[in-house]
This record gives sequence, structure tokens and C-alpha cells, in this order.
Amino acid sequence: MNFKLIAKRLAFLLLVIWAASTIVFFVPRLSPRNAIRERFAELARSGGFSPADIETLVANMNTQFGLDRPLLDQYWTYLGNIIRMDFGYSLNRYPSTVTDIISQALPWTFFLLLVTTILSFVIGNLLGAVSAWPKAPRWLRNFATPFVLLTGVPPVIMGILLLFFIGFRLKLLPLGGSYSIGTVPNWSWEFAFDILRHQMLPALALILGSVGGWVLSMRGMGITIQGEDYVNFAEHKGLTGGRIFRDYYLRNTLLPQVTGLALALGTVVTSAIIVEGLFGLPGLGTVLNNAIRANDFPVIYGIVLFITIAIAVLMAVLEFVYPLLDPRVRNQ
Amino acid sequence: MKRLKLAAAALMAVGVLVAPVAAWAQSPLMATAPSEITPSEPLADVPRNQTVVLGWGVSAGSPIGVTNPWALPGYTHQEGNALMWEPLMYFAIFKGEYVPWLADSMEYTDDTFTALEIKLNPMAKWSDGVQVTANDVKFTFDGQLNNNKLPYNAHFTQFVESTTVVDDLTALVTFKSPAPRFKFEVLTQKFDTGIPIVPAHYLSQQADVNMAPGQTEMPHSGPYALKAWNANQKIYDLRTDWWAVEAGRIAEPAAKRVIIANIIGVSMDTVAQRIVNNEFDSALDMRSSVISNILAQNDKITTHTGNESPYGYLDWWPNSLWVNTQLEPYNDPKVRRAMSLLINRDLINDILYDGAQISTIYPFPLYPNLQAFADSPGVKALEEQYQPRLFDPDASAALMTEAGFTMNGNGLWEKDGETIDTTIQGFEGIHSDIVPILVEMLRQGGFDASVNFGPDSYQNMADGRAGAYMFGHGASLFDPFEALNLFHGKYSQAIGTSAGNNRFSRYSNPEYDAILDRIAPLSSDDPDFIAGATEAMGIYWRDQIDIPIIQWLHRIAYNQTYWTNWPTTANPAMGTNGAFWAHTGMLVVTSLQPSGAQ
Repeated sequence: MNFKLIAKRLAFLLLVIWAASTIVFFVPRLSPRNAIRERFAELARSGGFSPADIETLVANMNTQFGLDRPLLDQYWTYLGNIIRMDFGYSLNRYPSTVTDIISQALPWTFFLLLVTTILSFVIGNLLGAVSAWPKAPRWLRNFATPFVLLTGVPPVIMGILLLFFIGFRLKLLPLGGSYSIGTVPNWSWEFAFDILRHQMLPALALILGSVGGWVLSMRGMGITIQGEDYVNFAEHKGLTGGRIFRDYYLRNTLLPQVTGLALALGTVVTSAIIVEGLFGLPGLGTVLNNAIRANDFPVIYGIVLFITIAIAVLMAVLEFVYPLLDPRVRNQ
Repeated sequence: MKRLKLAAAALMAVGVLVAPVAAWAQSPLMATAPSEITPSEPLADVPRNQTVVLGWGVSAGSPIGVTNPWALPGYTHQEGNALMWEPLMYFAIFKGEYVPWLADSMEYTDDTFTALEIKLNPMAKWSDGVQVTANDVKFTFDGQLNNNKLPYNAHFTQFVESTTVVDDLTALVTFKSPAPRFKFEVLTQKFDTGIPIVPAHYLSQQADVNMAPGQTEMPHSGPYALKAWNANQKIYDLRTDWWAVEAGRIAEPAAKRVIIANIIGVSMDTVAQRIVNNEFDSALDMRSSVISNILAQNDKITTHTGNESPYGYLDWWPNSLWVNTQLEPYNDPKVRRAMSLLINRDLINDILYDGAQISTIYPFPLYPNLQAFADSPGVKALEEQYQPRLFDPDASAALMTEAGFTMNGNGLWEKDGETIDTTIQGFEGIHSDIVPILVEMLRQGGFDASVNFGPDSYQNMADGRAGAYMFGHGASLFDPFEALNLFHGKYSQAIGTSAGNNRFSRYSNPEYDAILDRIAPLSSDDPDFIAGATEAMGIYWRDQIDIPIIQWLHRIAYNQTYWTNWPTTANPAMGTNGAFWAHTGMLVVTSLQPSGAQ
């Protein structure tokens, strides 16, 4: 890989971020809804909010947030703010800043997605590889079948089933929340274990439905590779089964799976939005969902851009990692 | 060399990731942003049988850290803040009596209702030990009067001339015009209305009273102190120095800790499961099918009506199908009346409420005083005359024909080739049971009805779009004036502007306005007031300003595993409504008694 290629990739990364930020700016603004007016209306609905002139208040707030300026002006300001990653204030939770809101929500989503993505990737690929490996014991080759059967079940349905049977009926794991009610977050093993217990059902809801996909794709590639000359050659050379599995078989099937991992990240984020809501986790998905409902576009901008940038950067990083995995790419 | 290039690429990638974050951290703040509240030292262990756990939102209304009742827009009493702030008086709706609190008395000086004397309890103190004085009352009232961002500014500017401090414990409010309902509507807390008294010595020091988040440093007078608040929960601990116990207002609360656990976004079924599993002592109000399932699965759980339908108490928010009375064809009272004639209210009672009489013909809840008004001879005579409860599809069809509509081949009324867009705007979380029934009833009668539970539904109501709006009348609790006042012409916004403050009908009728203006200065028990209100009620039915559908029920599950003395029909407790999230929720929580469970 040379500098020209790196520069190209980085330029493409910036282009993706600009395109995403432009789309995400204009789409929420197509709606005639006014988040500020809705906020006042919500307060009025919950009782007792009757300022002298709600429209004057809305107009004042519009000025304060710069929403009374031409849309194109707002767009240029917005792009300038993005460079500084300053998304300003939430319209719905003012005076909380978008940065604060994301900072509060990010750890929950990051932890859940990191764990589930890595676990489903590792488990799915290992099971997929083993299921296609002719020298593996029969029981081990069939071990992946239940996961394949669960492939079509959406995480939200899986979550409801897990909540009902494991949480509600069997009372083995908590029914929701990030940690036990009344616990104050602290740096202790006890608290870490508590979080782990609360993350298990949402993580399972995400993992059980996605492992099968990795199994299927890995198994398909595994079967294809078995007939390759280099595998036959390795067998005839008398290499051990473990070595062939690791160095000739697994390594060659992994590259397209890594590409798949990058592509899957977007889907995982979408699933997380629903699963977080179901389990009452205050992560980015829940915050984004609430922001969309309230048309709180600064928060929508912040979260969507954060996710876009994170995924785009991850994909770029993965592309830079390819050469480490595959000498053929390194030598191009 | 290749490795060097790879390392450079990795560094650039990291740079792309890290640089914005660094810039982000330096983003300048324009205002004092509220932040998460974490205890400075470990919280004391409080056992479950001394802890009340309530499922509710923790930051949907107030951003995390906002405890200042004057923060804008960002304060709600509904997420636990009512445990910190107190009013001059509460009102116990089911006992029909005032509950003096910060004030020992609050009386109009004479029957012209132009001055109100407030005498404070001498033992009332803020959490920092400073006494609650008439200065605090004056500061609170002057703020509401002069700061147009505050919730009751409209009421204060309409009525209040000035507030004067007579002595440390006495304040005198003088009104511009007779204000017989001001004491109840504004200065008394009940359900979700009324103002709390705020500490002058703290807020007067803030650069902008609307921007100060409050956090934990703002002194308050209520029983619980906020100890922790993040997106998962709010934790309140009982203040051992709460003035009200020493003053004899109430016995020392048994609940040493109150936790509000976040359930925003969580499905109703999961919330129900957490109540059944004794994780929650109570949570939000439920739809009928859910609450009956909860009761079936845990015999320690009860409701306002025990195990009997309708499982709830009357809330202050009776729902109508509102329409924009300036918009064709809803500007024709015949069309509005035709819609009402298609609503089979008895069937609604049977389907949704097991036969309990919850459907309504009134724009106000039938609390004792209002029930007496509804039962008065004048109102009964009008009811007989206008028959607002009548279900008669044939009469409806006759009215529609009279209004110039013809039935098309699809069984829908049509004029100039257009059917009547009767999309019902509503809110899925609370209307998913009733609105589909209304849609079907209206469709069977020829209206092109459908439902919109989308996020734009409220905006459509405020904008006055075609269709009907399922929404409540958050107004009257004691007499019918405030409910009738929702339709006063002074609030009638022209099409193209927003119908603020939930007055969606945009109705305007000088005859009606004159009646309301005449009775506004009169007290509830004045015969002239009752006569005028009756007259206005007649116009409400005659013109079918909106189409009353149901009284609103709060069906709240109360888990008695750890706590008893929840307010129920059999045990009214303090006599307040049973919503722990309402202003009076503090009285509910502080009245709970331990069950003895370990």
C-alpha cells in the first residue's frame, strides 16, 4: 500500500462524511414540524404551562438557535461547526448540549455493540469454519445448526422471547435497565459484574440472530477452499490438520469476512436502536429514537454523524489492516 | 519502508478519529449546561423495604441535572422533582378540600375577590435551613408576573396587580380584576397544575433564572433530596430535617429512599413484568388489557378500584374529538353533530371499560363539584333538549344530507367529489384502544376516517389540519369555568397560525364569550355563575363545539409487596389522585406505609 492509495482512501472518507452530513442536515428539515413548539406543547400537555404568548417564545427560541435564518446560511454554519464537532444544544433537552447527550449515551452502546459484534463474529466464523471442516467431529460440525435456524429471527423478537422466558418466567436475568436499580455507578468488580448481567439478554438478542449469518458465509467459503490446490498441497506435504485449518483454511476465508464485518456494522447499529429501547438501555439508539420522535435535529445530526464517522473510519482502518491479513494485498 | 508507510497510514487514520474529538472537547459553552449528578460519597445502604421504586421517565421532560422549576424549556415536576418543591397549598380532589402546606391560610380579603392574604407556616424552611418567608412568595409571584418565559405568566399578567410583603410570614396579592379562581387554579397544586414557591435567596443570585439548572445546590423545601441522577435512574433520599414533620403537617415518611427507574422507550409489557416481579412498586398508567393481566399474575398488586373494573380513577383530562371549527366542513355545526350522533358511547363503555360509565358528554371530569353541576336542574334540562349522548346513525345521515352531502358508492359522504377527511390525530401510547373504535364508528356512518399516531399528530392538531383530534381538556377540576373557557373567542386563532395551549377548536362566538366574561369574576357557588355556566354549557352542546368521548382514567398498578396505603377507593389516604408523578405525588409517596416484608 502506498501513500497515494492512503490519500485516496482518506479523501474518500472525507467525501463520505461530507455527503452524509449534507443529507442528514436536509432530511429532518423537510418536515414542517417545529421541535421547539412541540417541546412547549409537550410541557403544556403535562400541565400548567401557559406563558403569555407561546408563539413569541417559540420565535425567540428560533432566533436563539438560529433557526430563523435562511436554510443555506444554517447549512454553512452547520458545516463549520462539524469541523469543530460542535453540534450545539439539543432543542428538546435544552440547555443540555448534544455533546453531553452523546457522551452520556455512548458507553452503553459502545459496550453492547463491541461485545455483540466481536462475539458474533468470532463465534459465527469459528462455528462456520468448523462445520465445513471435514476432519472435525460430527457433533461439532452440527453444533452451528441451531444458530443457522435463528438467522431469520429479528433481534427485537428474540429480545421479547428472552425477556419473557429468561427474565420474567425463570427470573435468571434482569428484565431491563443498565444495572441494578439503586446502584450508583462505581469502579468495582461487583458493579462490572452487575452491568454484565444486565447486558446479557440484550447481547444475546443481538448475537443469536447474527451468528447464523456468519456461520453460513464462513461455511460456504470453507467448502470452496477445501478443493483449492494449496490446501491439497498442504495435505500432501503432511502438515497437521490443526496447522492446515489455521494457516491455509481459516486465514484464506477470513478476508471476505472482515469486509463483511465492516458492512455489518451499519446493520448492527440499526438493530441496537430497537434492542436498546426494548431493554431500557440509555444508549445512542434510544437517544436517537427519542430525537427523531421530537424532531430534535441537532441531536439527530450529532448521533448520525458520529455513527457515520465511526463506521467510515472503521472501514478505512479495516482497509489498512487488510495488508496485514493478506500478503497478496500487501504486495499490490 | 512499507511498514513505515503502514504506520503512517494508521497514524493518519487515528488522527482523523481523534482530532475532531479534541476539537469537540474544546467546544465553547454558551450556557450553564446541566450535568449528571453523582454522589460525592457512597450512598448509605437503604433496604428494599424502605425504598420505593417507581417506573417512569427520568429525563424526557427535564434534562439530567435540571431541578430548577424556572428552567426553560426544561423543567417538569413529573419526573420526581415534585418531591423537592412545595406549593402554598395542595388540593385533595377526592376529599374536595384544601391541604394547607407552606401556607397556613390563603384567603380572599373580601367577596370582591380582588385581594388575597397568604399566611405562611412559621416552621417552613428551605433545605439549607433558611426560613421560607413572604419574600419568597413575593419573589415567586413577581417572577411569574414579569418573566414571560414562566409557565403562569399569562395568568399573572391577566390578574395580578402586585404582591406586597406585609411581614415575614404574610403576603398580600392584589388583583386587577376579581379573580375568584386564582387561588385554586394557580396557587394550589393539584394534578399537574399550580406553582411551587421558589427560594428568593438562591434564584435572585442567578444571572439568568431561566438558565440556572439547579442541580443539587438549589435549596428546596420538599421532603427528598436528590442524590444521584443519570439516564438510568434518579435517587432521592429522605431529608431528616424536613420542616413539615416538625410542623405537624405529616408523620415522618416511612420511605427513606425513592428511586425513579427509567422506562422511557420500554414496552408496556416489560414494565408490567417488572411490576409483577416486584421490581417496581408502581409505574405509569396502563391500558385496560395490561392492567387486568398484571392483577391476575400477582395478588399483591391492586389499583384504585382494587381488582374491580375499571381499575382506575378519573383523571382531569376528559378526551374529545376536537375539530377545527373554522375549516370546512367542520365549520358546519350540523357536520359536528352528525359525527357525535355516530358515537355509540354505551358500546365504548362495554368494549373498553367492562360496562363502567366512562364515556362522557362533558368537557370536564365529573369530580364531586362538577358532578353536582352536571346534575343541576338547568344542565339536566339542556341535556334533555340537546341529547348529547344520543347514538342515532339515521339522524346523523339526515343532518349530513341537510348539510349538502351525498353518499357515494363506497358508503362515504361526498360533496363536490370530495369525501370528508376525518383522519383522527392521536397518540399511540394512550389512544391505541379508543381511536380505532372511533374510526370504525365514523366510517360506518360515512366519514372517511382513519388514524394518524405519527410524530406529527400534535403538530397537525396545533396547525388545524383537516380531521379530528383526540385530545383532552386539561382545565376544570372544581367548577366548569376553565373547561368552558377553552372555547372563548379570545383564544380562537386564525387558520394559518398555531392554536397554542391546546385550544384546537378555534371556536368564536360573541354570545358565548359574553357569558364567560360575565361569570369570570364570580365565585363557583354564586347562583349567577351557575346560571351563566349552564347557559354556556347549552351553547357547547347546541353548537357541538367538540365531540366529548371519554373521561380519562388513570389505571395505575400499586404493588403492596413492600408498601401499603396507596390511595384507593377503599382507602383515599390523603384524598389526592394516585399519580405519583403529579404535583400531589409527594403526598402519595410520603403517606406510604411499610407492609412488613423483609
